[in-house]
Amino acid sequence: MASVLVPVLYVGIVIGSLLVFSHFYRKRNTGKLYEPYFPSHPERDVYVTLLQQSDPPVHEALLKAALLRRAMTDVSRVVKLREDKPALQNLLQKGSIGDDLWNSLLQAEKELEAEILEVVAEANTFVEGWGGLIFQTAGEMLANEKMRGIYEDTSAARARKGNRTTTWQGWQGHRAPCS
Amino acid sequence: MAQPVQGQPNVQRPMLAPQTDPVMQARIEADFKPVYLAVGGPGHAFAFCQPHKVEKCDMCKLDFTALNRISKIFITNPNLRCPPPPTVLQQKLSQAVTNTKEEGNTLYKHNKHREALAKYNMAANIAVQRPPWESSALFREELSTVISNRSAALFELGDYLGALVDAETVVSIRRNWPKGHFRKAKALVGLRRLPEAEQSVSLGLQFEPNNTLQGGASKTHANTEGE
Repeated sequence: MASVLVPVLYVGIVIGSLLVFSHFYRKRNTGKLYEPYFPSHPERDVYVTLLQQSDPPVHEALLKAALLRRAMTDVSRVVKLREDKPALQNLLQKGSIGDDLWNSLLQAEKELEAEILEVVAEANTFVEGWGGLIFQTAGEMLANEKMRGIYEDTSAARARKGNRTTTWQGWQGHRAPCS
Repeated sequence: MAQPVQGQPNVQRPMLAPQTDPVMQARIEADFKPVYLAVGGPGHAFAFCQPHKVEKCDMCKLDFTALNRISKIFITNPNLRCPPPPTVLQQKLSQAVTNTKEEGNTLYKHNKHREALAKYNMAANIAVQRPPWESSALFREELSTVISNRSAALFELGDYLGALVDAETVVSIRRNWPKGHFRKAKALVGLRRLPEAEQSVSLGLQFEPNNTLQGGASKTHANTEGE
């Protein structure tokens, strides 16, 4: 009669090796970097460049303005990630896209969290307590800037419309039948 | 119709003392690319592109106009240490806009459309002076009303294209306001583009189905189309 030990040992070795493999595999994957979801952060670059300028030293007003612009970009990115996430999840479930894009998105989320914390800390160095407010302000500024942009585009829009009207009318005379 | 002041969706802020992830921080720092800018202007408070010393440079692909505008507001208000919460407003600005707009309205009613247009332009310029961190909902209301009235004035003066552009501005900043769509429809009728005018009216009616003015306009369009 074969001992009970043999199958137990067999199962133990299989499970043990699976555990060992997954441990090393996970360790290898945590350090892996994926493609950045957002190509660059120009407003952050401007802010850090301004901070590093020491001759002549930059006025605080410009630094605060640069920080506000950075916060505005961060807010718009948060909104974009929130929109993209369920859509990407859907595509991933259907199998239309690979894992890499999804991992890029998750990584971008973590980066954005760290970025937001940094902005809050920087804001608090200027004025104590500003960190809690700055993102609310940034949100309002984004909406404001969008509306102002549309308003200031009025004369350009008029020029575009003027051109389009004449083109449409000119085209109507030479319209060829659709075949 | 009270509109609640709404900022962008709330960012999740951790309740406990935030510990920045050092790996992420290192990534942020590694991502840094220095920008070729130069600081200048009064008080070294404005940014320009380094090689050409312009605010908005197409060759360097840099645009500091918005940045300098915010910086200017800080410079002109030295007591302003940081932007206040969006609910803190400048009372005089709203009043000035409303007063100018009312003056324009009176002129419009007396058929002095050209002067009314001048007043509306002035009101719009005042409204745009608002500091960018104040309530965007209020800014939207003010600007859309003034531009809608300006569109009406332009329509009466026969400038249908200008009226259309203004009406489209109103619609894009305040989509759920039926009057904006109504103005757009009127301008399109002036330009003899009836099918688009009817589309505009029906879109406006979707937001407020019981709007009698637009309902009447819709019937009129249907009749003129049938001719």
